[in-house]
Amino acid sequence: MIAAAAEAVTIHLTVNGEERSVKVLPHHILLDVLRDQLGLTGTKECCLQGECGACTVLLNGRAVDSCLVLALEADGSEVLTIEGLASDGKLDTLQTAFLEKGAVQCGFCIPGMLLSAKYLLNTNPHPTREEIQEGLAGNLCRCAGYYRMIEAVVAASEAKL
Amino acid sequence: MRSFAYARPESLNEALALLDEYGPAATILAGGTDVVVRLRTGRVLPAIVIDLKRVPALHADILETGTCLRVGARTVMADLVADARVRSRFPALAEAAHEVGSIQIRNRATLAGNICNASPAADTAPPLLVYGAVVNLVNATGTRSLPLAQFFKGPGRTAMERGELVESIDLPFAKENERQGAAFARATRRLGVDLATINVACLVKASGQTLFAYGAVAPTPLLVSDDSGKLADANCREDEKLKILENLIAHTAPISDVRASHEYREALLMVMSRRVLDAAIARLHDQEGLL
Amino acid sequence: MKNHRFAGEPPIRVGGVERVTGAQRYAADLRFENVLHLKLVHLDCGHARIKSIDISDALKVEGVHGVVTTADLPQPVPRFGPAVMDWPLLAVNETKFFGEPVAVVAAETIDAAQAGAQAVKVDFEELPAVLSIDDALNPEMPLVREPELRPGDKFANTNIFKEWNLGHGNIEEAKSAFVLEHIYSFPMVTHFAIEPHAFIAAPDDDGVTIWSPNQHPFVLQKVVAATFKWPLSRVRIIAPDPGGGFGGKGWPLYESLLAFLALKFKRPVRLVLTLEETFQNVRRASARAYVRSGFDAEGHLTFQEVSTDYLIGAYAAVAPRVVSKGSYVAGGPYICPHVKIRARAILSHTTPSTAFRGFGTPQGSWGVESQLTEAAALLGIDAVEIRRRNLPKYREEFIPNTTPCDGNWFEVLEAAADHIGWDTPLAKHRGRGIALGVKSSSTAASSQAMARMLFDGSVLILTGTSDMGQGARTVYTQLASDNLGVPYDRIRIVMGDTNIVPFDNSTSASRSTVFMGNAILSACRDLKSKFQQLLVKELDISADEVEVDSGKVKIPGRTMTFAEALKVCLPTRGEIIGLGTYSNPPVEGHPIGAHPSFWEFNAVATELEVDPETGAVHLIKLVVVSDVGEALNPLQVEAQDEGSAIMGLGHSLMEHMVHDQHGRIVNLGALDYRIPTIKDIPLVMESVFIENGDGPGPFGSKGVGEGGLLSIAAAVGAAVNQAADVSIRDLPLTAERVWRAIQERSRHLEEPGKDQNSGLPADMLSR
Repeated sequence: MIAAAAEAVTIHLTVNGEERSVKVLPHHILLDVLRDQLGLTGTKECCLQGECGACTVLLNGRAVDSCLVLALEADGSEVLTIEGLASDGKLDTLQTAFLEKGAVQCGFCIPGMLLSAKYLLNTNPHPTREEIQEGLAGNLCRCAGYYRMIEAVVAASEAKL
Repeated sequence: MRSFAYARPESLNEALALLDEYGPAATILAGGTDVVVRLRTGRVLPAIVIDLKRVPALHADILETGTCLRVGARTVMADLVADARVRSRFPALAEAAHEVGSIQIRNRATLAGNICNASPAADTAPPLLVYGAVVNLVNATGTRSLPLAQFFKGPGRTAMERGELVESIDLPFAKENERQGAAFARATRRLGVDLATINVACLVKASGQTLFAYGAVAPTPLLVSDDSGKLADANCREDEKLKILENLIAHTAPISDVRASHEYREALLMVMSRRVLDAAIARLHDQEGLL
Repeated sequence: MKNHRFAGEPPIRVGGVERVTGAQRYAADLRFENVLHLKLVHLDCGHARIKSIDISDALKVEGVHGVVTTADLPQPVPRFGPAVMDWPLLAVNETKFFGEPVAVVAAETIDAAQAGAQAVKVDFEELPAVLSIDDALNPEMPLVREPELRPGDKFANTNIFKEWNLGHGNIEEAKSAFVLEHIYSFPMVTHFAIEPHAFIAAPDDDGVTIWSPNQHPFVLQKVVAATFKWPLSRVRIIAPDPGGGFGGKGWPLYESLLAFLALKFKRPVRLVLTLEETFQNVRRASARAYVRSGFDAEGHLTFQEVSTDYLIGAYAAVAPRVVSKGSYVAGGPYICPHVKIRARAILSHTTPSTAFRGFGTPQGSWGVESQLTEAAALLGIDAVEIRRRNLPKYREEFIPNTTPCDGNWFEVLEAAADHIGWDTPLAKHRGRGIALGVKSSSTAASSQAMARMLFDGSVLILTGTSDMGQGARTVYTQLASDNLGVPYDRIRIVMGDTNIVPFDNSTSASRSTVFMGNAILSACRDLKSKFQQLLVKELDISADEVEVDSGKVKIPGRTMTFAEALKVCLPTRGEIIGLGTYSNPPVEGHPIGAHPSFWEFNAVATELEVDPETGAVHLIKLVVVSDVGEALNPLQVEAQDEGSAIMGLGHSLMEHMVHDQHGRIVNLGALDYRIPTIKDIPLVMESVFIENGDGPGPFGSKGVGEGGLLSIAAAVGAAVNQAADVSIRDLPLTAERVWRAIQERSRHLEEPGKDQNSGLPADMLSR
C-alpha cells in the first residue's frame, strides 16, 4: 500500500483487546494515536527519542517505545497499554506489587515501567536482579531509587503479595 | 514532523521498484529506532518512507547455510541476542547486540539497519568486522556481496548504491581446523543504556592471527589485523605485545566530543584492547578445550 | 511497613491505583474544547540581538491562528518574577538564553503550530555570550542585564546580581594550627523530571484559569496577578499533580504569557514543552566555592571562610533566595567560632536557574565536606572522628542567635559509619567516604487547611500542598484518619485549586509534613470543637458532657457515630468546617527572614571501587541516614530518601550541562544528558532513619526528601579520592575526570618538585 503525504488512511488496531479504527497521516506516531485519538493518555510523552521509556507499550507482545513507531507501521497490530493491564477491574500482579512495595511516587514513569516489567515476566518468569535491571534499563525514573521497582518485580514473579 | 508519503511494499520487487523510482528522496524504514528520530528532528526530509517490514524475502530469521549463519535483513537485535547459535558461535556479536539501547530498542532495531546507519560508534560493527561478516545486497538486477569492511565508507555513508537493499548479513563459520575466540567490550559514561565512548572487538585464531575492530575512534568502524601471532603467544614479552597493540591503535583517529576527549579515547583504546584480547584468548582456549 | 504511631496498616499510597492504571491525569493529559496549541519560537544561540521578525509565512500555514511577538504585547512588555519582576513574557530586543522565546505561534493543531514556528523568520545578530563565572566577571564581556534596569544598584555595571555577607565572629581573630584552602566547582544540572512542562490557560470572565503542574499555586497566582496588576481573585490556578517537580515546577515560567494569550484569543491556549525545551528552561545554579578552613591540632574548626559564586542565569527568578538560603549554612553543621561567608549571584546568558532539591546547599556542602575530609587525612584524624569533634550537641547553637541543633546529629553520624562498616578492612582500589548535610527548612511561612465533615461523616481535607510523588496525600489521610477516627476510605484530600483550597506558601523545603500536617491537625481539632459546640447548643447540655473523639460522639446516656450526631446537630442538613493554620513568623533582621522551623540533617556514607585504568566508578554500597523525628509513613520516607540519593548520584558522577561557544546546550535532551538508570544504582543501598520525636511536626516529625542529595557528592568524592589516591574538587566525577586525576597524580609523582597550588583568581580572595 502507498499513502500520500497528506492522505489520511484508516488503520486497524486491537488495543487492549478491543478493535479500533483510526484515520492517520503517514507522519503520525503510535504514541499520539493512543493519547489523542483513542483517548488513552496513560502512555506518556517525554523524550521522543527512545531514551526514557515513558511511552513503552507492548506491540504484538513486544515492549517497544511507541514514540518510535509510525501509526501506519502499527496497522493490523495488537497493542497493550497501561489501561489494558488490569482486567475486569482487577489489578495485575505487577500493579499490586508496585503499590505494595512503594515503587510509585509521582507516577509519570510508571506506565512505561509496568509495561516493560510485564514484558520481562512474560518472557522470563523468574528473572534475577540483574535481569530485572536489564529489562527495565530503558525506563528512566527520577523520583525513586529504582530498588523498590526491582523488589516489586521480584515479588510479582514470586506472586508473594 | 514534516509529512511524507508512506509505502509498505509486500514484495521485494515492489520495494526495489520504489527505491529505483525515488532514489535519495526515499528513506528506508525497518525498525525505525534511528529513522523515526531523524524524521522528527528533520535530519531527513524524505518524499517517501518505505517500510520493509512486510517484505517476506527480507526475512526476520537467522538461517544456517553450510558455511555461515545468514541473518535476514529484518532480524531484530533482541532475536540475535537470544539465538543460541549466535551466542555459542559468535558470542562477541551477541554481547554487542545486547548493548544496543534498551530492550524496547532491541525489539525493533534490526542488525541490517544498524549497519546501514553506519554510525562510527555502532556497537555491532566491531564484532561483525572481526567475524568477517559479509553483506548481501540486492537490487532490481541481481545480488552482490561485500565484506563488511568495504561496506562502511564514512560516518553515515555506506557502499550501497541507488536502488539497493541489504538482503542479509552472513557470519562465516570458523573453519574446521581453525578455532577462534572473540570478545567485545565498550566504554560508556554510565552503566545504563548509553552510546559507546569507544567499543572494541578482538578475534584470535588458533593460528595466532589476531584481529581488532574499533568503533567511535575513526570515521568508520575500523578493522585491523596482526599476523605475527605474538599477541596470542603466552611466551611473548608484555612490552612486545604492547608495541604491537600501539601500532594497531595508531590506525585510529579519535576525536573529542561531548562524550569524551581524544586523549581519554586513546587511553581507553589501549586498556580495552588489552582486556578484550585477554577475553578473546580465554574464549579460544575454551574452544580448544572442547576438542 | 508499619508505624507504631498509627493503628492499623498504612493506606496504599493515595493516588497509587490511578498511577498504576494510567488513570492519573497529568497536565498534558487534560483535554480542552476549542483549544489553541502553542509553539515557542526560539533561536539557535544563547545571546542575540533581535533585528526583525517576519511572521508572514507563518501566518500562511494552514491551521495557524496567530503569531504573537513583543509588538502585540502591552508596552512596556510585562515582566514577571517572584523576587524581581525582570523576566519578560517574550525576549525584548535581545535573547538572553538559549531557548528564550522571541515569538509564539498559536494554531488549531500541534502540527500546524510546529510548522508555523518553523516558518517564522527571525533576523538576528549573534552576540558574545557570558557562559561561565569567569566570563561574567571579565570586564570585557557584555553585561547580561542593562544598567538602566538597575538604578541605584552598586553592581549595575557588572554581572554581579547581588552579594550577601553572612556569618559570625571575626576570622582575623582565629588562631589555627593548620589551614587548608581550595576551590571547588559544582556543575550546571537540570531537573529532568520525567514529565516535561505543560501549561494551559483559559479565559474566565475578566480573569484567567491556568492549569500548571506547579508546586506553589499561590506563588504562581501572586506572580501572574502582579504581572498584569490584577487582583488575586482574578487568577485561578489549577495545579494537577506534577510528574516530578524537585523545585523545577515551583516557579513561574510561561503561565503569564499564556494568560495574556488566552485573553487575547478568547480561547483556551495550551503549551507543552518538549523535553529539550524543558532543559532549556529549568536548571540548578552552578557554583564555584573558595573554601578556607582553619583547625587546631585536634581537628576542631577555628574558622571557616567560604566565598561562593553562583551562576544564576539571565533572569533572577528565585535565585536570590536560593543563594542566600543555601549560603546561610555554608559553614556546615559544625561548631565554629568564626565563620565568614560571602555569596554572590552572578548573571549569565544561560537558562535562569531555579529551585532544585537542596536549594543552594548541595553546592556549598560539596566544598566544605570535601575539605573537612581532606583536613582529617592531613591531620591524621579519622573522617568520622573529625566530624564527631565538631558537631553541635542537641540544642547547641551552631549559627548564633537562631534555631539551634534540633536533633541528635551524633547518632546520625554513628549510624552512617556503622552501616557502611566504616572500620572494616577495605579492598584494593576501593574507597569509603562520609559526609554530612544540613539545610534550613521553611523559614517565614504558613500553611492553612480546611477540614470539611460532610453530612454523612465523611471528610474532605482541603490543602494547598502539591503531591508530586512524595506522598503528601497519603500522610494527610493518615493524620486526619487518626485524629478524627474516620476510616481512610471516607477521607478525601483535595488539592491543587486556588479557588477551593486555602492558602499554602509552597511545597518546598521539605516543609509539608510539618507545616501542612500541623495545619490539618489544627483544622481537625477545630472541626471537633465546632462539632462539640453545635451539640452543646442543640442539646442544651454543657461542654464537658460532650466528647467528640475517635469517630464517636459521647453524650450522657448515649454514644453515637458521627453520622448520627450530625443529624442531631444539623437539623436542616449541612456540614461542619474546621480551619487550621500553622506558621513560622518572620523575624526582623534575620538573614533568611526567620528562624528555620527545623533543620533537615542527613549523613551519607559510601563505598565504591575505581577502575584505575579507566577511572570508572562502581558503587558498592550507599548508606543514607536521615534525622526524621518520626516517620509517619516509613515506606514513603524510605522511597524519598532513596530517590534523593540516586538523584544526587547524578550530579556526583554523570550530570553536567555543556555549552558551546554559541551558548547552545550541547547535550540537550535524553541522549547525551545522562541521569542514573536502574543499572547505575549501587549494589546495596540502605536507608536509615533516626526517630527521636524531636521535630515540630505531628508526633514529633520533621520533613524529609532533600537529605541524601545534600551531601552525597562529598561522600562519593571522598571515596573516589581514597580509592584512586587523587584529589578531585570538581563535579561530576566522570570516568574521564577521574582518569585525568590519576594521570596527573602519576605525572606528579614523577616530578616531585612541581608546584601543586594553582593560582587563585584574585577576585576569589576576599581579604
